[in-house]
Amino acid sequence: MNVLDVLDRNLVKVPLMHTDKQGVITELVEVMAKAKGYSAKQFEDVLNAVLDRESLGSTGIGNGIAIPHAKSDVVEHVSLVVGISRLPVEFDAPDGQKSRIFFLVLAPSKEASAHVELLASIARSCTSQVFRRMLEQARDSDEVVRLFME
Amino acid sequence: MGVPFKQIVVYLDGSESSMTAIMYGIKLAKEHDAKLTAVYVVNTKALSELVKAGIFVTVERDEYQRDLQLDADRYLRHASHLAQQKQVLIETVKLEGTVHIVMKELLKSSKADLLVLGGVTDIRSRREELASETDRMLRTSPCPVLVVRDDDDIWLEFEA
Repeated sequence: MNVLDVLDRNLVKVPLMHTDKQGVITELVEVMAKAKGYSAKQFEDVLNAVLDRESLGSTGIGNGIAIPHAKSDVVEHVSLVVGISRLPVEFDAPDGQKSRIFFLVLAPSKEASAHVELLASIARSCTSQVFRRMLEQARDSDEVVRLFME
Repeated sequence: MGVPFKQIVVYLDGSESSMTAIMYGIKLAKEHDAKLTAVYVVNTKALSELVKAGIFVTVERDEYQRDLQLDADRYLRHASHLAQQKQVLIETVKLEGTVHIVMKELLKSSKADLLVLGGVTDIRSRREELASETDRMLRTSPCPVLVVRDDDDIWLEFEA
């Protein structure tokens, strides 16, 4: 399981509209809910799962990247939403840098292996500073997908 | 080198293609009257890397480690069930660590003469090239490797 296995242009949002942590997380979950046709209850369940995880410790990992994630049995399979913000968002990253690149990862509890593999794949993909800069400057969802395909 | 094969090892990772591989391995073991071993490796290296990268907090790592153990048990049980269906003896092994390294050690110590893998990934991006554990096993295995294509025909034939 890697990013390309689950990357879908309909699950990429450029640019994100919100400029605060909770707003960005909500916006990313909304992208997923809209694409997958979730009910209001399912949307709430997913959002609460992500916020509950966030309460354990920030998923801002530094270098301008945040990876909010959670287990939720609302999703059938491991899923990914990518969001790029034009404005840096305070995400309480350990290096003090604000975040502009966001990966929302959701997985059902029965797909722990795939969940771990996808998170590791995201971490690997974003080790390159050049790649991160290109992602930050992506104009639209097609460009984000193309960058991952290169 | 053993031809026909006498010691077949199938690597399981929970993917559909690894399930195809175990079906193929069971049929192959029956044909060759070979000893069959199904192996699942709990990727503790990946978990540690996620903690190091700040993606997982410690409590989360422990929770996922338990989940991965449960995944391993579930898939190995399924492999046993499939082997029983075809009256093939199977040994199931659960290991922990860096997948391709642990597998290499097991293949050596068990004197395996064939490793059966599910499909290797398509190379769609330079970044992901060679990152998959299946790909690494293919390249580092001390014994011959058979890559089973994720083929519906194998499932149909197995279930027939």
